[in-house]
Amino acid sequence: MNEEYDAIVLGTGLKECILSGMLSVSGKRVLHIDRNKYYGGESASITPLEDLFGKFKAPSPDESYGRGRDWNVDLIPKFLMANGLLVKLLIHTGVTRYLEFKSVEGSYVYKSGKISKVPIDQQEALSSDLMGLFEKRRFRSFLMWVQNMQEDDPKTWDGFDPFNNNMSALYNKFSLDKNTQDFTGHALALYRDDDYISQIAILTIRRIKLYSDSLARYGKSPYLYPMYGLGELPQGFARLSAIYGGTYMLDKPIDEIVIKDGKVVGVRSGDETAQCKQVFCDPTYVPDRVKKVGQVIRCICLMDHPIPSTSDALSTQIIIPQKQVGRNSDIYVSLVSHTHQVAAKGWFIAMVSTTVETKNPEVEIKPGLDLLGPIKQKFISISDYMVPVDDGLNSQIFISTSYDATTHFETTCLDVLDIFKRATGEEFDFNKVKHELGDEDQ
Amino acid sequence: MATVKVTEQKVILCGEYGVGKTSIFRRFANNTFVASSDRKSTLGLDNIDKEYVVEDRRIRLQLWDTGGMERVASVTSSYYKFAEAAILVFALDNSTSFHLLSQHLLDIVTYAENAKIFLCGNKSDLESVAPQVTDVEMEQFCEQCHNLISGIYKTSCKTGEGINEMFEDIAQHLVEANRSRMELHEMDKDRFKISYIDEAADPSCLC
Ligand SMILES: Cc1cc2nc3c(=O)[nH]c(=O)nc-3n(C[C@H](O)[C@H](O)[C@H](O)COP(=O)(O)OP(=O)(O)OC[C@H]3O[C@@H](n4cnc5c(N)ncnc54)[C@H](O)[C@@H]3O)c2cc1C
Ligand SMILES: Nc1nc2c(ncn2[C@@H]2O[C@H](COP(=O)(O)OP(=O)(O)O)[C@@H](O)[C@H]2O)c(=O)[nH]1
Ligand SMILES: [Mg+2]
Repeated sequence: MNEEYDAIVLGTGLKECILSGMLSVSGKRVLHIDRNKYYGGESASITPLEDLFGKFKAPSPDESYGRGRDWNVDLIPKFLMANGLLVKLLIHTGVTRYLEFKSVEGSYVYKSGKISKVPIDQQEALSSDLMGLFEKRRFRSFLMWVQNMQEDDPKTWDGFDPFNNNMSALYNKFSLDKNTQDFTGHALALYRDDDYISQIAILTIRRIKLYSDSLARYGKSPYLYPMYGLGELPQGFARLSAIYGGTYMLDKPIDEIVIKDGKVVGVRSGDETAQCKQVFCDPTYVPDRVKKVGQVIRCICLMDHPIPSTSDALSTQIIIPQKQVGRNSDIYVSLVSHTHQVAAKGWFIAMVSTTVETKNPEVEIKPGLDLLGPIKQKFISISDYMVPVDDGLNSQIFISTSYDATTHFETTCLDVLDIFKRATGEEFDFNKVKHELGDEDQ
Repeated sequence: MATVKVTEQKVILCGEYGVGKTSIFRRFANNTFVASSDRKSTLGLDNIDKEYVVEDRRIRLQLWDTGGMERVASVTSSYYKFAEAAILVFALDNSTSFHLLSQHLLDIVTYAENAKIFLCGNKSDLESVAPQVTDVEMEQFCEQCHNLISGIYKTSCKTGEGINEMFEDIAQHLVEANRSRMELHEMDKDRFKISYIDEAADPSCLC
């Protein structure tokens, strides 16, 4: 360990692994350390099932759960947007070759106590009970306007300047009612609260376009999920880093981040010190440089049946818009199953999550749990949502934010790209990687 | 000749750091050997495909190296996923690397459940100079593994001896496995013959 590196990365969560890969690819000498024995930190998929039960101090699972090592259970539920940033990163870095994906079968939205499928084509839209006939017509004109508008061509704006008007004005232009706004903002634009309504419309338009572009790629839903669980993602980027010369150390406690004149100079474990110019880490490695801004509650539910009213889908997402249940942030439900090699045959894993708003978070997720039907086993975790108070420009310590309650990876990637830019002073050059890898089939 | 797309069979290299996995990878990739332990020379190389023909069947072996992750940490479990074959490598002049094989074997059967497993004693050029692992010990190891091991080889990356033979034999095993699995044709009674298609002229090859 007593060597010199350009960068030391602490923690092998997804963000740190992507950063490690990007740094190695850019020619930096990288040492990547985790205090745990396994890769992935909070982004790991826990296997075998006995370890999951052990982690939550529950008695061992009985034989009805099948073979323990057929399970790979995520701690943080997320899907990939088929046309989103993470998929772009995966393709450009060639990490896709380590993974196999399945399209998520359907996306649902909660309205007045029951769930409806988010329509994916005109036929489904016409028969959908999400809105009345006239509202459907108005919504259709709205969607067509969004699809047709080009940011750089004001002729396509039809008199509405999306850069100088807020989203509320756009909703008014098409006379969309509150329910439709709820649906658009939360099930299509995937906002977690209603702050977006007062922000400029283009931000929301981009998100709706991302949704429909993603949907257009695979048809059933805009979401993808990797075989064997999300834990495969950090591992893929870790391998990329290693292939480009990154050195890996697991099971290595970090005792000190060594600072000299306000700047990081190394990392100490026991009596070994590795020197470096920069450190990249998750909040748990630098408690004195982060602050808590909230909490996220996540409930893992093991079930032997799919979610009722979802046509027996083997994977789904359900969004419960905040207003529908009198809250300030949405509740998310996601479901994956044996078809993704994350559970034994016949088993399903649902996850209900949201941003904590009260002293009694378990009650807050009840509307989500109530949709699931009988649950065999529940594991609840509440984690702090931490953000850095140090931007790293002086200390050269670059800290990621905790994983938020969103159900996809867009914010994850934005954080990573932002950190990379802050640390290196340049945008990540996607083209640097691809052709060097000698990969023929892309 | 290779115009028909043949599905790739992922083959992974497993074993302790320094036993010669990257050297086997390099021999497979471009038939070279680097004597110094200059690990940097394969940077950016992830996996390599090579086509074999077993009688009338084409098969592509796609060889994967660990990326050196085993040096201080363990290799990620995702390295093993989707592998059809695993080569368990140790160095014939290093008995420790032999005695630690069972741990690597355990990882293979855990994470690459359906992979066929092959045992490879590398650095056979050093066998007469500094012998540490005998043939009897290798055979005993296979017996203890309840026939989990589909083939045993001795190779030298330095001289190149045994390398091609090993991959040709692995190709044959995988063709046989596919054949019986898919039941595409009746099993041939004749022995398989293997020839390796030289791809050196292929411009898509890296180096
Ligand atoms: C979540 C959602 C809900 C919708 N709800 C309604 C509704 O309630 N009432 C209604 O009239 N219309 C609804 N639509 C839109 C509807 O499905 C049609 O896309 C729209 O009416 C345009 O039809 P078209 O025949 O002009 O275009 P088409 O020729 O059908 O399609 C033009 C382009 O849009 C893409 N596309 C088609 N359908 C969709 C789609 N559903 N999502 C994303 N891209 C698509 C196609 O791939 C093509 O590139 C909804 C769309 C979405 C995404
Ligand atoms: N004499 C001899 N040396 C070898 C042979 N194979 C590899 N080496 C050397 O052993 C060292 C480690 O090899 P390497 O391929 O990097 O091992 P890895 O860590 O398993 O990937 C290097 O110095 C190689 O040159 C061999 O067959 N004979
Ligand atoms: Mg190596």
